[in-house]
Amino acid sequence: MIQVEHLTKVYGTTVALRDVSFTAATGEILGLLGPNGAGKTTTMRILAGYLPATSGTAAIAGHEVHTDPMAVRQRIGYLPEHPPLYTEMTVAGYLHFVARIKGVSAGDRPQRVNYALKSCGLLDCQHTIIRKLSKGYRQRVGIAQAIVHDPPAIILDEPTVGLDPRQIIEVRHLIQTLAGQHTVILSTHILAEVSMTCDRAVIINKGEVAGIGKLDELMQQLSSSYTYDLELVGDRQHIQTLLTQIPQLQSVNWLGTPDQPRQQLHISSPEEIGADLATLLVQNGIQLYEMRRSHANLEDVFLKLTTDDIAPAAAAPTPAEPPIVEDADA
Amino acid sequence: MPNRLLHRGRMIIANILAIYRRELQSYFTAPFYYVIAGVFWLLSGLFFIVVMTTIIDQVAQQDLLQQQFGSPSQAVDVPKLILESFLGLLGSISQVILPMLSMGLYTEERKRGTLELLATSPITNWSVATGKLLAVLTFYATLLLPLVVYQFVTLQSSTPPLSPWLILAGNGGLLLLAAAILALGMFLSSLTDSTILAAILGFAVLLILWTLDILAKNTGGTLSEVLTYLSPIEHFSTLTRGVFRTSSLVVFGSYIFLGIFLTAQSIDAFRYQRN
Repeated sequence: MIQVEHLTKVYGTTVALRDVSFTAATGEILGLLGPNGAGKTTTMRILAGYLPATSGTAAIAGHEVHTDPMAVRQRIGYLPEHPPLYTEMTVAGYLHFVARIKGVSAGDRPQRVNYALKSCGLLDCQHTIIRKLSKGYRQRVGIAQAIVHDPPAIILDEPTVGLDPRQIIEVRHLIQTLAGQHTVILSTHILAEVSMTCDRAVIINKGEVAGIGKLDELMQQLSSSYTYDLELVGDRQHIQTLLTQIPQLQSVNWLGTPDQPRQQLHISSPEEIGADLATLLVQNGIQLYEMRRSHANLEDVFLKLTTDDIAPAAAAPTPAEPPIVEDADA
Repeated sequence: MPNRLLHRGRMIIANILAIYRRELQSYFTAPFYYVIAGVFWLLSGLFFIVVMTTIIDQVAQQDLLQQQFGSPSQAVDVPKLILESFLGLLGSISQVILPMLSMGLYTEERKRGTLELLATSPITNWSVATGKLLAVLTFYATLLLPLVVYQFVTLQSSTPPLSPWLILAGNGGLLLLAAAILALGMFLSSLTDSTILAAILGFAVLLILWTLDILAKNTGGTLSEVLTYLSPIEHFSTLTRGVFRTSSLVVFGSYIFLGIFLTAQSIDAFRYQRN
C-alpha cells in the first residue's frame, strides 16, 4: 500500500533523510519511531505530498507522490504536526468543508461527517466553534479531518501529542479500529505508543533507518546482550577460572565482598549462554541458588539505537565492551 | 473523453466554490471586517455629501458670477461631475482598505497550518487562489453595494437624470480596479507568513502603481502611452468618465490573471524551499 524507496531529503547543507526505505501493507499500522528531529515529520510530509524529496520515490496505492500528486492526495488522510484547523468554524462545518475539498460527493457528506464525528467522540461538540475547544479536542478534530473522506491510507504525525492519558487511550483505540480497512502510518517518539498500537515499527534516527520489523523481533535483533544475575556458594577465584571456559562471556561483575557466604554476580554476554552456564557451575560442584536472565527492554533498545552520541556509560545500559573479567571490589 | 473533461470542470468549480464559501464565512464572523466596513461606509458617506455640496455650491457661484457679468453661462453636467469626483475619492479610500483585505489571505493559512491541509488535498493551487480572490472581491462588492444604491437615488433624481450606465460603468471600474489590486495583494500575502509585512508590501505596490500613473501623465511620447496603457488607475478614471474601452478589460484581466498565476506558483515554490 505504501512504498518508500531510498528517500533522501536535503535542506541546504543539512541532510534530513538519508536513503530511507520501508513498506506498509494494506490494513497495517506502521509506527515511525524516533527521537525529536530524527526526520519523522519530513518523511510524513513527503508521503503526504507536501514536501518533495531530494531523491528517491514514495508511492501510495501505486501512485508516486512526485509524479502523480493529485491521485495520492485523493487517497490519503493526513494529520500534520499541528492540526490544520479553521478556528472560527464549527466542528461539523469544518468537517463538511474538508469532506468537500477532499472530493466526497454531496450525497455522502452528511454520513461521512457523522462517522468521523462519532469515531472521534465529537458528536457532543459538533456545533461548537473550534476556537473554544481544548487542545485534546482540537487534536481529535484533526484526526477526524484525516478520516472524514475514508482514505485508504492515513498518515498521522504524533496523533496523541497534547492529550491526557484517557484521551490517549481513546485515540489509540480509534487508530486500532481504523486498521484492517485502512493503512495507517503514525509517528511518535513514545515507545509505549508503538508497542500498543502498531503492528510494525520503523526506527528512524538522524534521518536514517535504524531498524524495521515487528517490535519483539526488533528487540531480539537489536538487544545484543543478555544479562544473568546469579546467587551461589563457592570460591570466587575458582568460579572465575571456571567462567573462562565460556568464550561468549562479555563481563562478570561481583557484588558484595568475597567473604560473604553467598556470592552474587552479574554476567553479560552477546549470546544466550544460560544453559551452558548452569551446567558448568553445577557440574563443578558450585551450589547455585538463583539464576535469572534479564533481557534488554524496549527502552534500552531504543536508547541504544538512538543515543550513540551520548556517553555510552550514561545512556546505554548494556555497553558493548571487550570481554573483561573484573572484580567489583578491585 | 468529453465526459471526463466535464467531470473535471465540475470538480474544479466545486472546489472553487468550497474555498469561496469558507472564506466568505470567515469574513462574516470576524470583527475586523465589520470595523473595515464601518470605517469605509462612514468615510464614503461623508465624502459623498462633501463632494455633492461643494460641487453644487461651486456651480451655483459660477452661475451667479456669469450672470452678474452678463456672459452666457456654460452648461455643466453636475450629476456627472459629482459621480466622477466621488468615484475618484472612493478609489483612494479603497486603495487604503484593499491591502488590509488581501494581507491575511495566505498569511493566516500559513500561520494556522491550514495551508498544509489545502496543499495535501486534491485541489489545485489555482482553485484555492481563485476561490479566495472571488470571496474577498465579494466582500468588497458588499461594501460598495449601499453606495451604489445612494448614487442611484441621488444622481437619478436630477433633471435630466444621469444615465444609469454611467453609474454602473464607474462602479464596475472600481470593482475591476479592486480585483486587480486584491489579486496582486494576494500574491504578496502568499510570499510571507507575516500579515503586517504583506500589508506593507501591498501599500508599496500601490505606491508603484501611483508613480506609474503620475509618470504616465507627466511624460510625453511613447513612454507615456505605454504607461497610460499599463496603469490600472488610468483605466479606472477613464471608466469613471463613462468611456468604455476593451483595452481596459484586457489590462484589468491581465493584472487579475497575473496575481492568481503568481500566487499559485509561489505556493509551490515556497514548499520546495521551506524549512
